Amino acid sequence: MVGAVLSGLTLAGCAGEEQEPVSVGLITKQEENPYWVSMRDVAQKTADELDVDLVTATGTSDTDVASQEAALADMVEEGVDGILIAPTDPVALLPAIQEARDAGVVVIALDTPVHPPEAVDAFFATDNEAAGRLIGEYAAAKADDLRLDPQVAMLNLSGNISSGELRRMGFLEGFGLTEDDPAIVASVDTRGDRDNAAVVMNQVLAEHPDINVVYTVNEPAALGALAALEDADVDLDEVVLVSVDGGCRAMREAVRPGDIDATAMQYPQNMAREGVRAIAAAVREGEAPMGFLDTGTELVSDDPMDGVESRRVEFGIRTCWGS
Amino acid sequence: MATTPKDTTERSAPLVARHLRVPFILLILCFAAWGMAANLTDILVGVFRGIFDMSNFQASLVQFAYYGAYFLLAIPAAFINARYGFKTGVLVGLGLAAVGGFLFIPASNLLAYEMFLLALFVLAAGLSILETSANPFVIGMGEEASATQRLNLAQSFNPVGANVGVLMGAILILPSLTPEESKTIMSEDELLAATESDLGLVLQPYLVIAGILVLIWLLIAFRKMELPSAPTPVDLTSGRGGTLARLWANRHYRYGVMAQFFNVAAQTCTWTFTILYAQDVVGTSPGEAGWWLQASLVLFLISRFVMTYLLGIFRPALLLLVMAVFGVVCCLTSIFVLNVVGLIAVVAISASLSLMFPTIYGLSLQGLGPDAKFGSAGLVMAILGGALVPIVHAAVMDAAGSALGYIVPGICLAAVAAYALFVLKHTRPAVGAASARA
Repeated sequence: MVGAVLSGLTLAGCAGEEQEPVSVGLITKQEENPYWVSMRDVAQKTADELDVDLVTATGTSDTDVASQEAALADMVEEGVDGILIAPTDPVALLPAIQEARDAGVVVIALDTPVHPPEAVDAFFATDNEAAGRLIGEYAAAKADDLRLDPQVAMLNLSGNISSGELRRMGFLEGFGLTEDDPAIVASVDTRGDRDNAAVVMNQVLAEHPDINVVYTVNEPAALGALAALEDADVDLDEVVLVSVDGGCRAMREAVRPGDIDATAMQYPQNMAREGVRAIAAAVREGEAPMGFLDTGTELVSDDPMDGVESRRVEFGIRTCWGS
Repeated sequence: MATTPKDTTERSAPLVARHLRVPFILLILCFAAWGMAANLTDILVGVFRGIFDMSNFQASLVQFAYYGAYFLLAIPAAFINARYGFKTGVLVGLGLAAVGGFLFIPASNLLAYEMFLLALFVLAAGLSILETSANPFVIGMGEEASATQRLNLAQSFNPVGANVGVLMGAILILPSLTPEESKTIMSEDELLAATESDLGLVLQPYLVIAGILVLIWLLIAFRKMELPSAPTPVDLTSGRGGTLARLWANRHYRYGVMAQFFNVAAQTCTWTFTILYAQDVVGTSPGEAGWWLQASLVLFLISRFVMTYLLGIFRPALLLLVMAVFGVVCCLTSIFVLNVVGLIAVVAISASLSLMFPTIYGLSLQGLGPDAKFGSAGLVMAILGGALVPIVHAAVMDAAGSALGYIVPGICLAAVAAYALFVLKHTRPAVGAASARA
């Protein structure tokens, strides 16, 4: 009896009006980083819910332009209605993107912008400056709470990659520092890589052993910095280490135990979900996506500071990306 | 460990009197129905926490409303039974519970948490009357010597219903809830729409439960039932006075009520916060967390049948002690091991819980005769543990994290172990032996 009722309710939920078919392409950078895997998984789940056909492709690295160019061309050939792409290069992919748009395909950039921004229909990403500002405010409050005279190490991304620059600028603003503030004793590039970060942090600690505030552009860099701090027998209770990302591994291994004092979360899940929805809405309801969509950021810490809004680590565990 | 066969009189009579087998089956449906409702409520704490963006403490008021109703209605239920009989009590309980289920309709339209608490209160009020009536009804359906085993058998179907309740939550509610991270970028209108959608999901299974309760009501209402006369009571107390005085003077009963309080507390806490532990500590999705709770209930169900068998071999109090200690160990594991192993330990607590309610019930009421009617009310009132202690568990979670919250059921299970130890050390005469000496 109960089984019949349950079946009925489930089937009733499945039945519905037939919708106009929609096909969406998703092109990520690579499959090694769980960030992109999460993005693909949520895109697929959303596509299933909306009865949308999802086609996926990926590059072999964060700099693989050729694979993304080929994927763009293939998807246009297949007749997709829209393409979601996390571009490996902000400029080199523009010709392929323009060809897709000329063929009537809606193109939305995810996570990483293109230059100029108008080269795509819309851009869905984290407000990286806001994320940096959140962790800057937190770091300042915590340093104040610990009565530290800030000696700040900045572990940046590399070159002038926009996401890294925006986070760095946001952190400075949130902390209350200027570009040439004497409190900044070191500013180095890490390429967002854990091993690189460990190496450069070791070098920085050798020159400035009194570092007590560490800004890291992402969690792999934070984990590398953490390893270097531990190798140098630094008392982590006297160091404020902050980052941006929201990956599950770092959340469990470093944020929950308090080794990373706070992190600003990103949501590739929101990028994927909103991207699929936007293309479906463009086809079925004629609502073309445009402009920038902030896909959200939340500060997570196991040690909240007065005056700085943050969420508990358990929120981070529930909403993190990766596994 | 040395095994000691149960010290009981030989049982040649059937477990259930022959002419009461069909009514017994109908009562089994009642046990299943209230298991379904109770365990669906366990899911609601986590669901409402997400929908209304509230603290664990606030969300745990769901259990306060549910089990608070059980507590408040236990005495009135006993009066209904004493005045009008067990069948009337069962029908009143089923009817009131159905009304509570249907109250979810206005609750989901109003989008008010308080309204859901009211609906749960009414639902639980009916189920309290149902349980207060059904348990002694089952005890009276055969020989007193086999009462514990008969009650265990009947109550074995309670986890069947519980599993169906959790299954409904795992299929109909949890996987379809609005993802928490998506709410971080929603406008006010979008958040309202998401709330409406999520509360609509909550409504569906409660309508199913209300429908089932109405059906069982109809089946029982039109069935003639006769209860066998109660066995000759054994006076186990030295004091004179009314029922309450006799009951209070009986240490097996008095401590049994306390043990039942802690058992219900441990059970409610464990199942209520399994989903939250899975999400907060291990990071599962709400849908996956539902399946972990389902695993708990399946384990509970299987263990209940296994324990029913083992109760025919071992002393109930000994088995109770062993399983309570096992439960404490599982709680400690869940506190200190913050990964899937801790979650498995949370699930394993259900094996320890499986025999506790009917065993404590049977041990407490043994030899009470007509005092069993009010005695059972006292034991049902021990369900207050399910109202009060989850709030404490939630407060610990809010203060110290979801893993450390499991210290609360750990302490409760230690109290149950203490009761089992007391019963082992203070045996009482078997039914009939005191009469022979007199």
